[in-house]
Amino acid sequence: MKEKIRIFLDTDLLEKYLLGSTTQEETLQVERYIAMYPEVRQTFDELQGNLEAFAKMHALTPPEGLKAKILAIIRAQDAGKRRFRRYAIAASITAFIFAGSSYFFYDQNKNLQQENVIVNNKIKSLEADMREQLEDVRNQFIVLNNPNTRKYYMKGNERAKEFKAVAYVNPVKKLSYINVQNLPQLPEDQCYQMWAEVNGEMVDMGIIRDFEDNDKLWALPYSDSAMGYITIEPKGGNTSPTVENIVANLKY
Amino acid sequence: MSALLEKHIVELLGERNEKAISLLYDHYGDTLFGVAYKVVRDEQLAQDILQESFVKIWRKSDTYDSSKAKLFTWLFRITRNTAIDKLRSSNTKMEKEIQMDVSDVYNLGIESIKPEFLDVRENLDKIEQKYQIVLDALFFQGMTQQEASDELDIPLGTIKSRLKIGLRELRKIYGSTSALLALIISIL
Repeated sequence: MKEKIRIFLDTDLLEKYLLGSTTQEETLQVERYIAMYPEVRQTFDELQGNLEAFAKMHALTPPEGLKAKILAIIRAQDAGKRRFRRYAIAASITAFIFAGSSYFFYDQNKNLQQENVIVNNKIKSLEADMREQLEDVRNQFIVLNNPNTRKYYMKGNERAKEFKAVAYVNPVKKLSYINVQNLPQLPEDQCYQMWAEVNGEMVDMGIIRDFEDNDKLWALPYSDSAMGYITIEPKGGNTSPTVENIVANLKY
Repeated sequence: MSALLEKHIVELLGERNEKAISLLYDHYGDTLFGVAYKVVRDEQLAQDILQESFVKIWRKSDTYDSSKAKLFTWLFRITRNTAIDKLRSSNTKMEKEIQMDVSDVYNLGIESIKPEFLDVRENLDKIEQKYQIVLDALFFQGMTQQEASDELDIPLGTIKSRLKIGLRELRKIYGSTSALLALIISIL
């Protein structure tokens, strides 16, 4: 062990380490020796003492003002660093706010785009509805105003004596409408359903819901020698008319 | 420097208190300036080195580890390495040789030797020139003993023995105070 220490001390590594000219690897090695062997530690401490003493022997007074200059540089650097830190903090806050607001605007933009799609769809469907209704009104006008239009009065049978309806049929334009004037009240679980027999087939025309609205004209599918029926059906309507429940019919 | 003051300065450095630099300059400025001058042999350059070294000391203050080296050793390393870098970057070989010649008139080159340093100069004179040269090669030139032997054209054995004697002489001079200090510490 002594031999190992002697060899180490002979290498000049300790002196090189003292002056700070060892490589990283050598530094680790020297520090390990200093930590492990008190003799090496002692030699190193002596060397440090010798270095300081020898260096002191060569002391020279630096020129006046150098101390103030050095302190000024250090102060300026520290101030610069502080300023940089302040800027860095300000910049991070700005970046954070920017990121936050960017996300906020992005989110808002996304929502607005979705809303825009919804509104556009609504407008389109409204347009379609309007066109359909306008077409309907136009047809009604044509039918009502046309000299070829024939007007049929419908009356209910025993089941619905109060039933009154007017049908308008135009064989030229091939359009027919029905206006239900009056319908007797039905129990809660029943409803009126309109049918049309077109070319031998029964077509479901739907349930008459708002018969209070007695100005409404119902479009009927047109065909030569078609038949219109109104039946009483269970609530919610039926898939085919119940013949014994017919309250009115119309040949047109 | 007393161990207590050294501890105080290290603490101030840790707190990043500028007072640390002020105290370091007061206690080590002359010695470090001497170190810088020893390496570069140019007063103006030595000033730049001292300035640069203190800025480095301030900047690297968190890297100082008192368990690994004395404060002076750390300061010396920074100053000497700064001086060597400066020398390498600013001087051609030719200029360096000229400055080596100037080094012989070193004592005349600097006018501002404080009276209190006269005794250390005297101390230096107490060490014979031949020992001084070897100590110089070791501490300032950073030569290995083999390199010193080659450079100075002195056998390795002689270098070794001169270094031994030089260090002993050195210890004799500063050891009187440090022995006293050791005595005080042992009493405490």
